[in-house]
Amino acid sequence: MNPLLAQFLAEANDLLAQVDEGLLQLERVPGDPELVNEVFRAAHTFKGSSGLFDFPELTRLTHAAEDLLDQVRSGRLALDSGMTDDLLAAFDLIRGWLAHVTTHERLPASAGTDAAGLITRLRAPLGGEAVTAVATTATSTATIDVAPEWLAWLDAEWLTETAGWLATTSSTMRFVRYFPDSDCFFRAEDPLHLVRQVPALERLGVVQPRVWPGPDDYDEYVCLLSFILATRASLGELEYLFRYVPDQVQIVELDSDAITRHLSGEPPLQVEAAVTAAVMPMIDSDLAADARALLHAAQSSLAVDDVVAGDTRLRSVVHAVASAARALGVPVNLTGADRATLLAEIDRLLGAAAPAPAGVAEDLSTAVAAPVPAAAVADAPGRADDPGGQVGTRVLKVDQEKVDRLMELVGELNVAKNGLTFLADAAEEEFGSRVLSRRIKDQYAGMHRIAEELQAAVMDVRMLPLSVAFGRFPRLVRDLSRRLGKTIELVTEGEDTMADKDVIEALGDPLVHLVRNSLDHGIEPSDERIAAGKPPAARLTLAAVADGDAVIVEVSDDGRGVDPERVKRKAYEKGLISEEELETLSESDAVNLVFRAGFSTADQVSDLSGRGVGMDAVRASVEKLGGSVTMRSKLGQGTFTRLRLPLSMAVTQVMVVSVAGQRFGIPVDLVVETVRVPAGEMGRVLHQDVVMMRGEVVPVIDLARALDMPWAPTPGEDRRILVVSVNSQRIGLLVEQFHREVDVILKPMEGLLAYADEFSGTALLGDGLVLLVLNMKEVLGLAARVA
Amino acid sequence: MPLELHEETANLVGVVTVDEVEQLTGWLRTARRPKVSLRRCNHLHTGALQALLLFKPKISSAPNDAFLATQVLPLLTGSSGPANKQGSDPP
Amino acid sequence: MTSDTPTRARVLVVDDAATVRMYHNSLLGEAGFEVSEAANGLEAVEAALGTPFDLYVVDVNMPKMNGYACVEALRSETVGTAAPIVMISTEDRPGDADRAYRAGANLYLVKPVAGDRLVRVATMLTADRSWAAEKDVAA
Repeated sequence: MNPLLAQFLAEANDLLAQVDEGLLQLERVPGDPELVNEVFRAAHTFKGSSGLFDFPELTRLTHAAEDLLDQVRSGRLALDSGMTDDLLAAFDLIRGWLAHVTTHERLPASAGTDAAGLITRLRAPLGGEAVTAVATTATSTATIDVAPEWLAWLDAEWLTETAGWLATTSSTMRFVRYFPDSDCFFRAEDPLHLVRQVPALERLGVVQPRVWPGPDDYDEYVCLLSFILATRASLGELEYLFRYVPDQVQIVELDSDAITRHLSGEPPLQVEAAVTAAVMPMIDSDLAADARALLHAAQSSLAVDDVVAGDTRLRSVVHAVASAARALGVPVNLTGADRATLLAEIDRLLGAAAPAPAGVAEDLSTAVAAPVPAAAVADAPGRADDPGGQVGTRVLKVDQEKVDRLMELVGELNVAKNGLTFLADAAEEEFGSRVLSRRIKDQYAGMHRIAEELQAAVMDVRMLPLSVAFGRFPRLVRDLSRRLGKTIELVTEGEDTMADKDVIEALGDPLVHLVRNSLDHGIEPSDERIAAGKPPAARLTLAAVADGDAVIVEVSDDGRGVDPERVKRKAYEKGLISEEELETLSESDAVNLVFRAGFSTADQVSDLSGRGVGMDAVRASVEKLGGSVTMRSKLGQGTFTRLRLPLSMAVTQVMVVSVAGQRFGIPVDLVVETVRVPAGEMGRVLHQDVVMMRGEVVPVIDLARALDMPWAPTPGEDRRILVVSVNSQRIGLLVEQFHREVDVILKPMEGLLAYADEFSGTALLGDGLVLLVLNMKEVLGLAARVA
Repeated sequence: MPLELHEETANLVGVVTVDEVEQLTGWLRTARRPKVSLRRCNHLHTGALQALLLFKPKISSAPNDAFLATQVLPLLTGSSGPANKQGSDPP
Repeated sequence: MTSDTPTRARVLVVDDAATVRMYHNSLLGEAGFEVSEAANGLEAVEAALGTPFDLYVVDVNMPKMNGYACVEALRSETVGTAAPIVMISTEDRPGDADRAYRAGANLYLVKPVAGDRLVRVATMLTADRSWAAEKDVAA
């Protein structure tokens, strides 16, 4: 992709977010001039930048939005929710377009039609579609043109049909006659190429010469064809498309009547010529035109009274006039000239520089323009050594992929680094050199420190504020609350809290689910709230706070809360809890039953929270991130859900153990301790192996059996038990051997193992082996089933 | 190569630019019963279209390109396109 | 005179839209100018105070300090530059150009400005950089 477009897309993303946020805030604080201005500015910047690309629909749509916002800004119009809806819809459409542009580098084909309705709606409060007032067509905009004679090139049958259709829809159509210069091929023009770019082309007629030259006299470089076309594209689009050949085209806008008149042979209502795209002869060279523009500008500058000698403005005008004079080939010395002298000089120059015949002007431009860049071009390529440097913002926008790549490399470095410890072991065990082993370990320690710092630095780059995850909720809450007819105030706190981008990304879905759940089930309609003595507007809070190397995100509402009794009963009915639990479960434990798989409290399933996916999905995805979720609720007062997530999930520390010669990793944060227990001290309670530890009975699971691996402990040998804490319960894992702790980059499971839930991912070890990292909850589940 | 010229048949491939116009015209002048395939042609320079209109070769296969197929092909196959009229002045 | 000085002409591109800055920067950079960027009027004034430029290309609508105020500041005693200033705007409203000229701009163009035009104008306005010498005299 061309870097300019890439830059535009990146910038557009920020602008879209700005607009969305601004509009939503505006609804709450209507008329806040700062906010209006902010949104207007974003739309404005959007329009300006879009003009650099060939995205006419994008420019038109942003222009319409900008005009509406400009009226709001100036106080002539009050922003209502209908307008906000239209504006949001417009920017949503643009968001979709830009996604298309990202992959295809052009707007979707439907852009014109999609935009049309919105543009009309956006312009409605301003009194309808603004007329494309381009200077050259000033005469044509207000009125419908008279059908020109060349309309006869289009067949009558089609014209009749079109006239009927235009009458039904009370719309108009643009007709273009494009009469290319006979020598246009020499100017690298390709008329047919221009014609095929006409948007919404309805009909094309190619006018051929009445008499063709004989094959031998035929000069293939003389253009003999001309074109007549009918299109639904706007005047502005056509003028833009044909902007380099304005003198070769005529554009008329016709309605049904004009066409019918033409068809019936009636004389046109007006006698004036129907040429609307004004003929702008391009006989003048561009350079001379620019020079004249400078001179005219200088005249305007001098019209200001307070321009005095010695003033920077006057000196700059002197310079501008001298530059223009040089460009026109009539250098003048204006040093110290006063206002009157300058004005006289400008008059003289403008007189001398009246549009010259093309040939002369071109000579001028080559003569004058050539020497200037010559010196400059010599060292043009070396902009990289530019010591001037960037004055603008010093924040670097980096492609996510590059950061990911950096992280991957850090991971590989870690792996390579870990390899050194294997090497140190080998040095000692296989080659018997303690000294070498020692040295390798020293080297390892040094590298370890650098790798850790590097890792921390990269992790820091990956940190994003939670506002990224919270960003979509104002919109979501607004839209959903309208659909549900509830009044909800969304409060966000701690958006500045930072977390790894992967965590932020993965947090999105669970948060959406929780918020939707709150909106859908937790928050009551206003009347119900009033009846309960609550304020009619509900309050939904999203809060984030850092807690050591974890981030806590809380979703709370002041809705009707969860009824623990109902939850228990339902869980019992669904067979999720036993009759005993039904009696004994505390209220807070009961509330957390909603996270159990297969539980759903909603009496009716609404389309908002999605069907069949309950809170267990939230729990599963949070746990997949290595986090936890808990809910507290007070019946009638509200619900409070707390997610606790690791600040970063890129690097995981795992403890390596093995059974049947196969190594497995277990996340270190789950590991409580490793113990060796004499075989005789192992106990058994109700078919379950147990071990007594400091007066506590700890169940012991045979990892080999759970994973169906062929291994049994050698009788009489000490048992090696890894004690882990899962769901705040201590459990022992019987393993064959303990190994060391290593830092790994966890990769998700792929291929055949993708569905093996007992593993949370794979990691590469320093010695090149692939380590399977266990998902302890699933493993415990497996063990329970095996037993 | 945008032009694949054989004795009596030619394939126009991709975008035929102004640079190919002379060669194409020369071929049309000399070929006895020229046949042109537009199947793989994405765009024709106006000069190339003009040459095809003048020499009227048989079009052996229709272009895949939508614009060429709907707007240009009717002019070349003589199946009276809507405005395939001749004359330098409106009638 | 410094008309054929071997150093490249220095241009400051002032626009809040990064895309537009990049576009102007690449156009002028390829044409041999030494281009610096500023994202708003304040940054532009700061930059001009540090190192004077041979040409300023200034957007009209910007946050913090808009284009008109920026141009006024560049012409004021604080910066005091007589270097040519080209203002570029998305607006084509009557009166805007006059406002630009009153502020001290030397040319007012409406976006999107064709690339060759910007380069042409920039080249024209920096062909002779004797205003710099003149400034020394004045000062």
